[in-house]
Amino acid sequence: MSLVRTERLTKAFGALTAVDGVSIEVQEGSLHSVIGPNGAGKTTFFNLLTGQLAPTSGRIVFDGRDIAGTPPHHIARLGIARSFQRTSIFPALTIADNVWLAAFARQESWRGLAWRRADGYPALAARARAVLAEVGLAGKADQPARAISHGEQRQLELAIALAATPRLLLLDEPAAGLSPDETQKMVALVRALKGRYTIVLIEHKIDVVMTMSDRISVMHFGSVIAEGTPTEIQRNAEVRRAYLGGVAAP
Amino acid sequence: MSGLKEARIWLTILAAVVLLPVFVRHAIATEIWIFAIFGLGLNLLLGYTGLLSFGQATFFGSAGYVAGYLLKHYGVGVPLVLAVGIAVGALTAAVVGYLCVQRADLYFIMLTFALNQMFYFTAYQWTSVTGGEDGMPGIPRPDVLGLDIHGPLAYYALVAVLFLVALWVMKRIVESPLGKILQSIRENAPRAEALGYDVARMKLAAFVIGGAFSGLAGVLYAMLFGIVPLEAIGFVFSGNVVFATLIGGSGSLYGPVIGAFVFIWLSESVSAMWARWPLLLGVAFVIVVLFFRGGVVEAWARFWAWRAARRALTAMGADVSR
Repeated sequence: MSLVRTERLTKAFGALTAVDGVSIEVQEGSLHSVIGPNGAGKTTFFNLLTGQLAPTSGRIVFDGRDIAGTPPHHIARLGIARSFQRTSIFPALTIADNVWLAAFARQESWRGLAWRRADGYPALAARARAVLAEVGLAGKADQPARAISHGEQRQLELAIALAATPRLLLLDEPAAGLSPDETQKMVALVRALKGRYTIVLIEHKIDVVMTMSDRISVMHFGSVIAEGTPTEIQRNAEVRRAYLGGVAAP
Repeated sequence: MSGLKEARIWLTILAAVVLLPVFVRHAIATEIWIFAIFGLGLNLLLGYTGLLSFGQATFFGSAGYVAGYLLKHYGVGVPLVLAVGIAVGALTAAVVGYLCVQRADLYFIMLTFALNQMFYFTAYQWTSVTGGEDGMPGIPRPDVLGLDIHGPLAYYALVAVLFLVALWVMKRIVESPLGKILQSIRENAPRAEALGYDVARMKLAAFVIGGAFSGLAGVLYAMLFGIVPLEAIGFVFSGNVVFATLIGGSGSLYGPVIGAFVFIWLSESVSAMWARWPLLLGVAFVIVVLFFRGGVVEAWARFWAWRAARRALTAMGADVSR
């Protein structure tokens, strides 16, 4: 069963159509990768899914309802969480608070919002601890987020997305800017999430994508030019052209 | 923050509340705590949410006028007047906030300022109610639940108690989930939105709470001097509270309290001796901005850290005389 599907999703910025009639279907529990050269519209596609941008046309059906054009905070409350390609955290707050905020946002009720003490939510604290342990930041919970290394901030970025117990997890180049060592760690982390979450992954490192994904969509100039299993994508001639020579090449 | 440190801070504040009227003229001592309440409200916006509101006098003055009018013409009791003042502060802040939170940064600041000016000129023109330039004089200070608060010390006691309540309420708010959410908006609003927080509404909540505190301060101010001067709703007043809060330190719950003390004490005591006293404030402000962005609170913390480091070095046998 598909958890989310887009139907002819389009986003135009003036004359530039960044996302052009994209129809993608993501199966519940699968890891679906979106690949493509820089500027193919992958991140714009994510921004449409999470409501950061409103589509020009097309539909986004999440769990049976059309969510196109819904503001981001509503979409997040439905259970769509994302990590950002460019680290987006709360620098002055502690790592524990960074994650706690994500967990609190997903609470069914916000009772005690302005009066209960924030440390009086044991279930949230437990969730935050568990997520930090999973990404390997448990020992640094009380440090401000700005004090840790870039690699650790990428782990925190992932932890924030996970703390929201998402039904759909959108990961935008989780290994962006990481050293080979850190990349390996991140790949292992994402691999460990597979099967437990429904994941859409944007990633440039093709070898990673090929070994991890259930399905792959290839975007080029805003459109999906191919979709299939990793093996099918590997054999696809059009994909090779897009990657190796651009569309102008023969 | 550890419980011990917390207890020490509250003991210090209690001591200050008790001792202040011994050393400082009662009216000034009272004004300090009123200004502290005003600053607490602003700092929820400035320090916690990262919103520089340049229009807090809108709420302070509006509440002062409404309360003054009720006290003067209708003989309404103090508890009700306080409640009405808080409500007026919150309500005007809801209106102003609704218009302002849609914009960011400079536009936000200018909007709070422009709306403040609108309220100011309304008060200026509406002389039949506000007294215009002359202010609204003759505001009585009736008994509170049978207690006579006419004497300066009695009124000081009332204000001091309300200040302590206000401080405790604000402490609860900044330690609540809302307090954390507001800080997350200060740090990274798009991320907070992506987590599921309606940033505009949260900012509005901060505005309304801040307005309620300003309203309370405005009523107490009107009753302190028996008059609502036109300046109480003017932009200079809005600026003063920002100024005081920055000097005290916007990064901490207690910063605005210290700021209120420094600001009011300086302005009232030094101005008597030297008419150009704002120069001193200017110098203090420059020092804060250049060297102690966290205000007095940060300077204090740094001093103790420096002393601790020095002691540790001495204990290790290092020569720290140079």
